[in-house]
Amino acid sequence: MNCRECVEHLYEFLDRELTPELEREIREHLEDCPPCDEQFDFEQLFLKFLRARCRTQGAPAELKRRVLRELFGE
Amino acid sequence: MAQTPSPDVSPPVDEKRASFEREALVHLDVLYRVALRLTANPSDADDLVQETLLKAYRAWDQYEKGTNAKAWLLTILRHAFINEYRRKTRHPETVDLDAIEPYAVFSEVQDEDPQGAFFDRIVDDEVLRAIDQLPEAFRETLVLSDVEGMSYQEIAGILQVPVGTVKSRLFRARQLLQAKLYDYAVEMGYIKGSPA
Repeated sequence: MNCRECVEHLYEFLDRELTPELEREIREHLEDCPPCDEQFDFEQLFLKFLRARCRTQGAPAELKRRVLRELFGE
Repeated sequence: MAQTPSPDVSPPVDEKRASFEREALVHLDVLYRVALRLTANPSDADDLVQETLLKAYRAWDQYEKGTNAKAWLLTILRHAFINEYRRKTRHPETVDLDAIEPYAVFSEVQDEDPQGAFFDRIVDDEVLRAIDQLPEAFRETLVLSDVEGMSYQEIAGILQVPVGTVKSRLFRARQLLQAKLYDYAVEMGYIKGSPA
């Protein structure tokens, strides 16, 4: 696997959407290729950052009460 | 007069309610977050979630219990949004998604900040604001994947598009969002760089 092929699968790899064989090929390439490895790290950290920033918000308590009232007359 | 429980009627209702609480209502936070990103308005998001759950409760017998309630609910939510809210809240977009060039932030920052530490200085509200600026097709794909952790297959089902489309939208949505956040970080002086 060359660098171009590896980077083409970058997000599918990070999203765990690849077949085990392809995933293994990428892992092997990353072990031997510090520049690709660095780029994968960067993207992985970005996705973690994104999730952490966006999941703090939940439904307001008032909405929960309203939904229960509408559904079950409470 | 005190109500006497009716054994013929109440058990199925209780059962329906119990299974709905167990499988559907547990996803209230997910529904709210997605609704908020779609409508960009807390009051519309409240209404959209409520409508989604009322529709889902009415159709609960059609849902095969124990399968994928989250994806099923999000499909209902998105239909409700398209049919009833988009017209009111946001005009259907005329953005040419293919004309948006991917921009690799990593190549800009790899010498100065290869771990992207500058991202960590950007607060929640700023990230959400940047997501809200993405074209709708990118925004909904990114939120379902990166915020709610859904698989490509699940997203394809919810958005009614091929998996390949999910992949390409996700790729461009992430690149575009990175570029927006990078520009912001440069503006704020979190990183030297040059605006993307």
